[in-house]
Amino acid sequence: MQDNIFNALADLALNASGQSVVPSKAYLIEARLAGIARREGFGSLEDLVYCLESRQNPVFRAEVAATLLSRDTWFFREPGALKGLVQSRLPERLAASPSGRVRVWCAGGSTGQEAYSLSMLLEDETPAGLSGAKIEILSTDICKQATEKARIGTFGHYEVQRGLSIQRLLKHFTRLDSGDWQASEALRVRISFRAHNLLEPASGLGKFEIILCRNVLSGMARSAKTRVVESLANQLAPGGLIVLADGETLYGLTDRLEPAGDVRSGWVAAGTANAKASAA
Amino acid sequence: MKTCLIVDDSRVVRKVASRIVRDLGFTVSEASEGAEALRMCRESMPDAVILDWNMPIMNGIDFVKALRREDGGKTPRVVFCSIENDAEHIREALSSGADEFIMKPFDANILESKFAEVGLI
Repeated sequence: MQDNIFNALADLALNASGQSVVPSKAYLIEARLAGIARREGFGSLEDLVYCLESRQNPVFRAEVAATLLSRDTWFFREPGALKGLVQSRLPERLAASPSGRVRVWCAGGSTGQEAYSLSMLLEDETPAGLSGAKIEILSTDICKQATEKARIGTFGHYEVQRGLSIQRLLKHFTRLDSGDWQASEALRVRISFRAHNLLEPASGLGKFEIILCRNVLSGMARSAKTRVVESLANQLAPGGLIVLADGETLYGLTDRLEPAGDVRSGWVAAGTANAKASAA
Repeated sequence: MKTCLIVDDSRVVRKVASRIVRDLGFTVSEASEGAEALRMCRESMPDAVILDWNMPIMNGIDFVKALRREDGGKTPRVVFCSIENDAEHIREALSSGADEFIMKPFDANILESKFAEVGLI
């Protein structure tokens, strides 16, 4: 791929989603865009980029931008964090919730594996404190196609074999004639999916007791990270928790949040982590 | 170093699986059908078995049932690896003594994921 083409696409990704695209991934970008170029009748990637630059078509730009991003994910990624949520933080938050309802946001949830993993844990390992609880999971992603796929809950041969035990596959999924596997209604009923760009205000999504934003910030430019973290902090309900992936941090990005202390890669409103420890 | 026995009548599948499993740090041995694999297990029980379903002489189901009756035969983690990938076949493999099931075709991510599921890595 020529440098000017790569740079144009990298700029598009950065402006649209805050994600940095590195030159070593140029071959992946080329492969991902080939389908769109073919469908739209472009003879080459150069033609596609020329069209992006010369025509103002926000829908097409958004589609191309979403295609540039990594959507690599799998079921039960870093399972310890998910189990910790289900076994301790969710029951705690439920006990503190006057409405008897807890909302969880999987921010940058791609094709839904994280949300479905959480839903499976709620089915399989529900502590007594969560029995009958109303737990709502919202999974959002910038890519509309990803959220549509997640909503349908159908996963292919390779997807269901990454992170998912065969016992859980048989328990929670049904094999379709196509060879794909569809998540059960019991898993899907507590999850909703919505296209959302983390760089845009999230006030319309409401407040959340738990926000999972794992393996999203690490690929972003610093200015975008700051913007996203601000948005996440705005949507955090009082006493809520933001969970990042192992190795990710919010140090230097915000003064509004501090490490939770008792949750690995967990962040809470500044000034509240010690209060919780003292109360305990 | 942990050991893995790969049982498949396809030389190509054995070769692909061997390379992946070696990269995961296992010492690998190979058998092309169940009876040969059972003899090898009697000599030295492996930590892991990757097992095809349809093979000449002794198939995967008969092998895993026989293995589980052997002294020390409950120890190996047995991962079925088959193109027979509908729910009924998978259930039959598990009820016969397999610990996990890989639907062919597979890649390194899948094999690593399944080995992690059964505590091999």
